[in-house]
Amino acid sequence: MIVKDAVCPFCGCLCDDIEVEVEGNRVVAVTNACELGMTKFMGEKRMKNPILRDGNRWKDITYDEAIRYAADMLLSAERPLLYGWSGTHGEAQCVGVHMAELIHGVIDNTSSVCHGPSILAIQEVGHPGCTLGVVKNRADLVIYWGSNPIDAHPRHLSRYTRYAEGFFLENAFRDRKVIVVDVRKTETANIADEFIQIKPGGDYAVLSALRAIVQGKVDTIPRTVAGVTRAQLVRVANLCKSAKFGAVYFGLGLTMTQGKYKNIRNAIELISELNRHTKFTISAMRGHYNVYGSNEVNTWMTGYPFGIDFSRGIAFYNPGETTAVDILARKECDAALIVGSDPAAHFPRRCLEHLADIPVVQLDPYPNATTAFCNVQIPVAVTGIDAEGTAYRMDGVPIRTRRVLSTDYLSDEEVLSRMYALMQEAS
Amino acid sequence: MKFLMITGRTVNQGVTVENKTSPEYAAETSTCFMHEFDMMELGLDDGDTVRVTGPCGDVVMRVSASVEVEMGTVFVPYGPYANHIVAAGTRSTGMPDFKSHMVEIEPTDEAPKLVHELMEDLGGLAYDS
Repeated sequence: MIVKDAVCPFCGCLCDDIEVEVEGNRVVAVTNACELGMTKFMGEKRMKNPILRDGNRWKDITYDEAIRYAADMLLSAERPLLYGWSGTHGEAQCVGVHMAELIHGVIDNTSSVCHGPSILAIQEVGHPGCTLGVVKNRADLVIYWGSNPIDAHPRHLSRYTRYAEGFFLENAFRDRKVIVVDVRKTETANIADEFIQIKPGGDYAVLSALRAIVQGKVDTIPRTVAGVTRAQLVRVANLCKSAKFGAVYFGLGLTMTQGKYKNIRNAIELISELNRHTKFTISAMRGHYNVYGSNEVNTWMTGYPFGIDFSRGIAFYNPGETTAVDILARKECDAALIVGSDPAAHFPRRCLEHLADIPVVQLDPYPNATTAFCNVQIPVAVTGIDAEGTAYRMDGVPIRTRRVLSTDYLSDEEVLSRMYALMQEAS
Repeated sequence: MKFLMITGRTVNQGVTVENKTSPEYAAETSTCFMHEFDMMELGLDDGDTVRVTGPCGDVVMRVSASVEVEMGTVFVPYGPYANHIVAAGTRSTGMPDFKSHMVEIEPTDEAPKLVHELMEDLGGLAYDS
């Protein structure tokens, strides 16, 4: 059987034109997906049933036992942390927020170690963004800043920018210029019309220099700024001002470096300056396929996008205090529920040392690095493969992922709903 | 020698990220991409192992020459090896300094550990069935 128009549940592009060939309960071929998406659809080696750590060995347990264990763990914790949420569908994220509120816990998603700083900047100065379709059809200048889509979002270039047709562009490949700004000469830099190589940590200074040039203050710019020549900065500023429609896509090269959210704020303010001359937008290259959705769900339910602390009985938000890395590093939480992410692979070691000391339950289809720190792991269906649900694309467009095969695995939403029902009964 | 360590996504890291118990994931995320002049300076060939020491400890990785990184900088794919030496401070943002750690790099004869060995060093228990 061939399933057409399946939605790829890997990165924030949420490509919705995938063809998946299914034989029995296996995906045997994938068309249109990039290497990342294809590998996800073809993924095997799922965990077969829930497991419990029993001393120095693992024991198989039933779903009922695993769900009961998780509910009891969360109910008896004084400061539970509910972390992850970007690798699951919106319906499951909703249950997670209800659960956090019920037990006065902290709920945080992977954006705190991804585009959390971008959201902090957006809260300060707003977000002049647009959908990917607008960029595809209108943009004659695209800037990738601190992002490397060839490795991280491989089809972004072919569906929306470098290699995409544009309704309002006669010859998109010729008429659309692509600029890459990075500290490394990445593969994406190699296909750009102009590459700006910045010295590490110099993004803020280069953004400030571009703002000054766009304001007509070229004379204030030194000969080089963070390794970039004044001549190149002036050329790029002129390219931006003369574009009919420009779009900046930025990545973790801005959020994880020195300056963090201040880099993004400066980038947004550059876009604000450019909008005095032409039309310009800026958006984040979101990583997980539904990290945007976890920010949306959290925001409409609590008012805040990530790092939400219910310990006061109301939603409280203070990144750096109520975010997962900080809470783990301070050895503050006394239980953790992990859903749709793998903090043991992506958090600093100090956080892992605390995970080893507290009870941990994880919902994940596969054994991963966090499995080693679990007391219980519950294998679940993969959203977009054997579970369906809503995800938000990197531009904020909600897309319903489809189920391409049937298995006996429960979805994240089903497992969490059963856990939540037990917790409601007990409290 | 001291280097600036930058972590980031690679295609191979993304392809193996759902299969973290695989040797391919371990190989990719324990790769330290380095400028070939820096490798000459340290007497390293492609595939040699190095001890990378950061603010929170050290970890063994395998070097690979790369034209993408500048001298004085190394690039390591996101994963448990880089995070073994990354500090947990977030400067009140929630985000650690994943792309701005100074590290010390020296040649070693040790081989990189497997992912589950790193996890067991920190108190975890490997699951492999």
